[in-house]
Amino acid sequence: MTRSWTIARAFLLRLAQIAPLAGHHGWGWATGEEFELAGTVKSVRHGNPHGIMRLSTPSGEWTVEIGQPWRNEHAGLTPQLLRPGTRLLVHGHRSARKGERLMKAERIVIAGKSYNLYPDRPS
Amino acid sequence: MTIGATLDRVLEAVEQAGPVTALRESTFAYPLVNALHIIGIALLFGAIVALDLRLIGWRRTAGSADGFARLLVPVAGAGLALAIPAGLLLFATDARAYAASPLFQAKILFIGLALANAVWLRASERRRPRPRPRLALAGAASICLWLGAIVLGRLVGYF
Repeated sequence: MTRSWTIARAFLLRLAQIAPLAGHHGWGWATGEEFELAGTVKSVRHGNPHGIMRLSTPSGEWTVEIGQPWRNEHAGLTPQLLRPGTRLLVHGHRSARKGERLMKAERIVIAGKSYNLYPDRPS
Repeated sequence: MTIGATLDRVLEAVEQAGPVTALRESTFAYPLVNALHIIGIALLFGAIVALDLRLIGWRRTAGSADGFARLLVPVAGAGLALAIPAGLLLFATDARAYAASPLFQAKILFIGLALANAVWLRASERRRPRPRPRLALAGAASICLWLGAIVLGRLVGYF
């Protein structure tokens, strides 16, 4: 009993620990409030189911979810534009979970030019 | 070089293989492969739950377990034949992250156990007389293991 409980507990704790794949589809997980974040691109992973960008900001490192390839392409947001070191401003919605540095991008502004991933949503 | 580092390099090479990159960056192929994975799971799970329930003893008068198996095992097998290659393709697009995910590792463990259980069941079919309570137990284990694999697989996308 105690041994199997110890193993089960260790297993559950391990499951809760790492969150490398955080896939957020839809908007339900984010707040309804408009949010903006300025920072410098640290790294980007492009591709399905959606791209993920790490951003260095004055308030620490943030994870920004961008679109899947076709959405980024429609917005004119090419991988060349999002190279590490690029300064940009992200409009969108942040995670509703308190303290979580995670947001989903609606619109990204680079050098004064706006790239709108969701033209049908206010941002 | 450690085994972990070697595995990491292999998985990185998998991610960067031409067809895998094309799938990751595709517009329609990725969601379609996703759909094939789900269709495979639906076929597999639907057929296998019906067979497991018959093994447990539900609706015994509906027909022999052998008869059910003749119909449902090929359907489940077709589902598996669809779900596994589609799943491997999805895995390949982000191989290192999936391999590092404890939820994904647990999912693979559940699938392995469920398949081992199925192989044991098939092997025991050739032994007669069959101990019915053990077949019922195997059926119940099968339902739990496949349910677990599906739930874990879904959780991978959210944690």
